[in-house]
Amino acid sequence: MRPRTPDQLDSDATARPGEQSEQGKAAALFVTALAKASRAFTLYDAKNALVRQFIAEYRARAEEATSRGPLALDVLPFDLSRAGEVVYHEDDRERSLAFKLFRDGVRRITVQKGVPFGELLELLQILAIRFTGIRQAEEDVVTLLRKAEFGGIQIVAVEGYVPDEDEPEDSPGTGRDDAGSRPPAGTDRPFPRLPAPGPLAWREVPETLLAALRAEESEGALPANALGLARQLLALAAQGQVDPAEAAGYLGDLRSFLIADGQLEMLAALAEMAAAQPPGRLRDAVLRGLADARLVDALLAAVPEGSHQLPPEAAKLLPFVPAGAVLDRLADEPSEGRRDLLVRVASARLPADAEAVVARLPGLPADAARELWRAVTDRAPARADDASAALLDHPDTDVRVLALEAISRSEGRIASAPLVKLLGSPAESLRIAAARALERHGDAAAARAVATALTGRKGQSLPEAEALGRALGRLHPAVAHRLFEEWLVERRSLLGALGSGKREADVLRWAAVAGLGVLDLPDAEARIQAVAAKGDADLKRYCAATLARRRAEGRRHG
Amino acid sequence: MAEPREALDEVGQAQADLGRAIGRARSGEDRELAGQVRERGEQISVLLAGLLKLTRVHAPDNHAFDTPVAELARALAALDELLGTVHLVTVEDQVYVNDVRIRTDGRSGAKDLGLELSRHNVGGISFHRPLGDAQLRKLVGALSSAPNATAPRRTLADRLGREGLGSLELQGIFRFQTTVDEGARERAPEMVASRLLALVAEAFDAVGSGRALNPLPLRRAVLEAIEIGFAVPAFWAPFEGHPPHAAHAAEVAFVALLTGRAAGFAAAYLQDIGIAALVHDAGYLAPGLGDDAASLQRHGVEGARVLLRQKGFHEAKVRRLRAILEHHRDYADPAGRPSPGGALLRLAEDYVNAVRFYGAKITRAAALSAVQRAGGAFYHPALAQLMVNALGAHPPGSLLELRDGRMVRVAAPPASRERFALPVVQHADPATRRPVGPVFDLPSADVVARAVPG
Repeated sequence: MRPRTPDQLDSDATARPGEQSEQGKAAALFVTALAKASRAFTLYDAKNALVRQFIAEYRARAEEATSRGPLALDVLPFDLSRAGEVVYHEDDRERSLAFKLFRDGVRRITVQKGVPFGELLELLQILAIRFTGIRQAEEDVVTLLRKAEFGGIQIVAVEGYVPDEDEPEDSPGTGRDDAGSRPPAGTDRPFPRLPAPGPLAWREVPETLLAALRAEESEGALPANALGLARQLLALAAQGQVDPAEAAGYLGDLRSFLIADGQLEMLAALAEMAAAQPPGRLRDAVLRGLADARLVDALLAAVPEGSHQLPPEAAKLLPFVPAGAVLDRLADEPSEGRRDLLVRVASARLPADAEAVVARLPGLPADAARELWRAVTDRAPARADDASAALLDHPDTDVRVLALEAISRSEGRIASAPLVKLLGSPAESLRIAAARALERHGDAAAARAVATALTGRKGQSLPEAEALGRALGRLHPAVAHRLFEEWLVERRSLLGALGSGKREADVLRWAAVAGLGVLDLPDAEARIQAVAAKGDADLKRYCAATLARRRAEGRRHG
Repeated sequence: MAEPREALDEVGQAQADLGRAIGRARSGEDRELAGQVRERGEQISVLLAGLLKLTRVHAPDNHAFDTPVAELARALAALDELLGTVHLVTVEDQVYVNDVRIRTDGRSGAKDLGLELSRHNVGGISFHRPLGDAQLRKLVGALSSAPNATAPRRTLADRLGREGLGSLELQGIFRFQTTVDEGARERAPEMVASRLLALVAEAFDAVGSGRALNPLPLRRAVLEAIEIGFAVPAFWAPFEGHPPHAAHAAEVAFVALLTGRAAGFAAAYLQDIGIAALVHDAGYLAPGLGDDAASLQRHGVEGARVLLRQKGFHEAKVRRLRAILEHHRDYADPAGRPSPGGALLRLAEDYVNAVRFYGAKITRAAALSAVQRAGGAFYHPALAQLMVNALGAHPPGSLLELRDGRMVRVAAPPASRERFALPVVQHADPATRRPVGPVFDLPSADVVARAVPG
């Protein structure tokens, strides 16, 4: 929706109230309110508070404008006038209420004093549909207005556009390739055997019977009637009397209507009906035809405000909700509660739509990404590593750490390049997690990056040094061993005695101890013990912990 | 899902209802579809206008036409896939494709198309089938040729027909109406009936050519008829000079509408049932259907398939589909009763057919009575009685012999309950038994000696 302020709506339409009679002014205000309200649906969601405001204003202005008697408005291409006074003028055809009315054939609208609000609303509805640009083969403004059977509003309307020939030619080509299509003669036989006739008499038919008959075709009965028709068409298609594509087309149209009407129960019944078809062309066509991105809206609309529970009918619809549409909504959804619902819908599409879900993980809000990642690991374990790898591109540090922790536990094969890249991250937690992940998934080539990370960066923490040291030991034991020995040598030079140098040496020593802990060397433990013997209390404790861990891991790995 | 109604005030409820109504209307038209129509429509109008300009420099078989002709063919095929028939209409400086206005924004191209077409007195072209490369070059060649001095549109159409472009329909020049034409709402009933019959014939032609039904013109005609009312003789006179299938459709429609109105159905519903009645036998046009019992069973389904060609969801379409699909279903069918629309059509058609098949031997009153007495078995009993009430003791078309020896024809249904047996009549020509002279009220039931078949 384009963001426009209420005042911008028809702000260019001129009413010149200062030059008008009192009734003219009231008419101008009414017309402006009508134009605003009817255009509002093109700019705002129907539930927007502004729409409500426009409707209320329209109602009030209508009451004022008709308070002294009927208001008759003549429709001209760009003007609406009352008793010769122009009460509305708009040159822009796209925005002009007058032009749309005129083009559709409306020439005069008369609103009676005391017109029921229901009729005012119906008029607004017809104009709003026209303004919204909805065009159907079934109706135009003229038929809609006449169909409305207004009592307090009179419409003078003519055809939209008409032939404009002084001397009309006979209609030449009708597009027909033949002389015309006629049913065969003698149809509608055999005729049913009817009883013998008797006298005819006028008899009253009870109104209750007729009311029941009319109720069968009431507006409220439409969804059920349409669903019943779908059932008939499916049965005919199953018998080969109707093409599966024709039936599927109708079901697709019905689905769109039910979505628009918020008929979740009917949608579920439709889905159930489709799913109940035996395998084959019909079922395939129908199932394919029912899938629609707008089902997401229908599902969300069915959840009461504040609730995080999908209604029971939702389960039947989930197979028809494309994961892509859910993920699109999820990416932009500001409400945490709605995100939670969308995550459930997307999760329900697993494992079938795991690929789509994994592809979209990096672009989702952190909470949704985390939940969907968990859902993938639970319901599509074969794609768990892909999901973790995808999360490495997520902007949220915690989410990436989560993914790295999963990667470090994974026994699958995961490319080391993204992990190596993360060693350069400004976030220490990421660097540590990446180093831990590399310990399992890195290779000899990654060892150089790990060594560089250790020696090239200043101010590393001891936990990071530990993670890097272990990774280095795992990735390239031979080179690591050499480096560790180098780093464990006590340097008593002037430079080494300086604070910063000592700190760096301590970090490297820390890394070396950790690395020795993973090296498969016979003297590794002795070497660690030797370091401990010469170290301070912290280093002693660290060496002891490293040895304990080494022994535990040794037992685990046999 | 709608908010709880009790929680909403009147304006809030109105807002919710409006939103729902617009949502429903939107479901009848896919916005994506409208966008594609606009895009492809603009492409078609710009390309066609461009090709016509190009003919000033090159002949249509020149290679310069290759790319734009191929693009035009693709765009037409794409729109045909989306819409079926593509109606390209120019009105003043505007271009419409299937009623979707194409943005011209004051630019030449699409805007000039109207001028190019108007040379041949053509305001629009309906493409009932997609066209290939060679056909498009022929079309461009024909449109760019000098218009004939007299009847240029007909001349152009004849040429297109000769060149194998019979699937193109040329329309005359259109204009936006600029004056209040009150006359349009006060058409003579004869004109309305005649228009309605012509539209039925056109609709059957369209269906027979494999096109989708266009309900809007039919709706307008039905609406006119409903507004006029059914007490006018023009709606009950024998529709001579019209194809029998159109006459049959109109007869069924008027009886169904009369009965439906007696049942208190709203105008909107009556419009829908009127349209359904007008095309209820379109299914007979399906290949292989004839006048046998199997075809009788099958034509309802085929009629529904015709309606399914129209894309989008609309309440009226559902009503039509149900009515046509079920218009030969018995009221007591173990599989379930027909919809009210189906029941109305069944009743009306069987009465009309009873007169058609047996009218030479039995009176219309007898036919009506026989139908009414089958209420509950074949027909909805309440509707059957309402049809009797509405058509009267002497249904329209009945031949009555008066006690003075003169013959009269019933011209229209009774205007009220009080006139159930006192319809308006016309004298019948003794030789031909055709109605002649002015319409007058039958003064009293006593003047009728007997009803006569025929």
